[in-house]
Amino acid sequence: MPQVRIIARNFMDMVAALPAMKLDHLYQNAFICEAILRSLPPLAKKYVIQMCYIEETIPSKSLEEWVLPDGLSKHRVAIDRLLQLRIFSESFDRSTGTSYRLNPTFQENLQKLITYGAVLPREPMPSSVTARLPSLQELENYAMQKWECFLLQLINSAQAEKMTNISPSMMRIFQRGLLTQRDKEAPRLTESGFQFLLMDTNAQLWYIIREYISNSEEIGVDPADLISFMLELSFHETGQAYNMNTLDEIQRSTIKDLADLGLVKLQQGRKESWFIPTKLATNLSVSLTDSSSRKEGYVMVETNFRLYAYSTSKLHSEILRLFSRVEYQLPNLLVGAITKESLYNAFENGITSEQIISFLQQNAHPRIAERTPSVPENVMDQIRLWETDLNRIEMTPAHFYDEFPSRDVFEAACDFARESGGLLWEDSKKMRLVVNTEVHLQMREHLRRQK
Amino acid sequence: MASAPSKLYADDVSLLVVLLDTNPFFWSSSPLPFSKFISHVLAFLNTTLRLHQLNQVVVIATGYNCCDYIYDSSSATNQSSGTGMMPAFCSNLLEKLDKFVTRDEQLEKGGQEGGIASSLLSGSLSMALCYIQRIFRSGPLHPHPRILCLHGSPDGPEQYVAIMNAIFSAQRSMVPIDSCYIGAQNSAFLQQASYITGGVYLKPQILDGLFQYLSTVYATDLHSRGSLQLPKSVGVDFRASCFCHKRTIDMGYICSVCLSIFCMHHKKCSTCGSVFGQAQSDVASTSNKRKTPDT
Repeated sequence: MPQVRIIARNFMDMVAALPAMKLDHLYQNAFICEAILRSLPPLAKKYVIQMCYIEETIPSKSLEEWVLPDGLSKHRVAIDRLLQLRIFSESFDRSTGTSYRLNPTFQENLQKLITYGAVLPREPMPSSVTARLPSLQELENYAMQKWECFLLQLINSAQAEKMTNISPSMMRIFQRGLLTQRDKEAPRLTESGFQFLLMDTNAQLWYIIREYISNSEEIGVDPADLISFMLELSFHETGQAYNMNTLDEIQRSTIKDLADLGLVKLQQGRKESWFIPTKLATNLSVSLTDSSSRKEGYVMVETNFRLYAYSTSKLHSEILRLFSRVEYQLPNLLVGAITKESLYNAFENGITSEQIISFLQQNAHPRIAERTPSVPENVMDQIRLWETDLNRIEMTPAHFYDEFPSRDVFEAACDFARESGGLLWEDSKKMRLVVNTEVHLQMREHLRRQK
Repeated sequence: MASAPSKLYADDVSLLVVLLDTNPFFWSSSPLPFSKFISHVLAFLNTTLRLHQLNQVVVIATGYNCCDYIYDSSSATNQSSGTGMMPAFCSNLLEKLDKFVTRDEQLEKGGQEGGIASSLLSGSLSMALCYIQRIFRSGPLHPHPRILCLHGSPDGPEQYVAIMNAIFSAQRSMVPIDSCYIGAQNSAFLQQASYITGGVYLKPQILDGLFQYLSTVYATDLHSRGSLQLPKSVGVDFRASCFCHKRTIDMGYICSVCLSIFCMHHKKCSTCGSVFGQAQSDVASTSNKRKTPDT
């Protein structure tokens, strides 16, 4: 799914956009080094590992010698990324050309990580203190429930049965960009809001986290601290209890917000309180590269465009309503149909056919998911056809020329436009022509020269 | 039987099966002490695990008398934290390795004659392939598997058939066998294994820098190999072992029915039982040269 990548990359861009000082500071934490290492493109990972123990600069030529002609573009992407994140520093020498060196802080931490392993700043609490911890299954249910509750509230505050504790102002920040509200009307989802709903959980999570971090920047919390805390959190072990006393003031208030999102579960003992990271939290650093954690799907699509969703979740039914006509709703089953009208409705809201199809594929019921394709081909084709029906007109910015002094000038202008590949339309009788905007400036120069 | 995987994780998620040579006869005479070797390897394994959360490492010890799994990162409980002295998985692995070596020693009957005895490469290769087959069948999503042989003992010609069978089965399931040979002479078996399966064969020149070799060449995931130029072996020793005396031979006799190889003329093939005609003259019939593996 393309959106996932965009969001993930945006997050790393956020890291890359930090000032140099902050970045160097971030790299002092071994866990962040590891998370960043994992987020790199495969080739970049290889370069970092290869240079991990080399403390001198490496000429870029000797790196390029390894690359096959086919891999050059990937090589460049990898190097750019490394430079952007300041993992590589570039230097130029007249005799050897460009050469690279690993960021010393990053390198040192990586070496430590490889030889000694890394130690979390806090140990899991002994079971004698925490008594009975929730099982992994319970924890996952808890996380999913919290997250769905949050999403429901996000898209439709009236629908949610249980309100989360997230402050309305925070909620409004999350809704920014996803919802629009005209005066006195009920808020409506925007284009990106619809797209957001069709993403998978990890991608949604990163979107929210990103909003959260950029918001906290506005109220004066250092984004670097938050980023490092989030990444560190993802290396904690799911289902273990960690003492709240190990957190500082900012982290403690952050973790309360995270608990509302379902990333951690807070528990109170007799004397102490602790937090238990859920799968959502530990998956944070995975989803930076790809969304590989899969949930069990629930949707079946038949060749007759009928759609069955075995789900009790209100959120699921809300999502399916985005692009299908719901016919029956039973306690654990929702029957709908994908119709032309329902799809047009979705397209109007800015959802694309590819998003719908990938949503259906990703959430396919396990029985269906075994088959290829998991969504019947005729349904996929029809969804795409209906979308292209709406896109018959193509818009090109252009400039219109007329009132040419003579036919010669007109024809010369036509030829010029044709040669530069910008001629869109000509009418030789009335001496009028339309030229692509990109060619407009050259065209003007050309006409001026004619005079 | 198509074993080519249909759905995979993200491109660079790998399953690395490492075959660790623990042959005491080899290590007692090796210029690189085993403790140093193992510290290089542990660092390398740790690196592989750090590169991707879903990366998986399995270590199989290749002993003199037996082989066994000594580490599997998918069954280890704790991944990230350690004691501060070394990554958590290492102590686990070392403990298992220690037990394995003791057991391997107990199985030793004595009576080792001349030269360094070979270790059971065929056994550990088969175990690695079994493990990979199980991963292939475990579900729709699985990592890209590859095998890395860290080997030092000389080839055991008596294992020729078993090893070749393992190699061909790896080739069929598209599992590359990388080999890093630490011993004195090149290993013909491993050269052939890497050549046939599309892996990398390398004999490090400077053993003290083993980690650099491992991280530069063998840490490359299968996806990145598509765009990189990894070391290619210059020449591959394709010599086969004969089935009758397990000797490595340059020229020999090949059964025209089952392609079994013999170092001398027999009346009947010991593998398939075909009766051979009388050789016309000893000189003429040695024209059957070495057997080159197809594809």
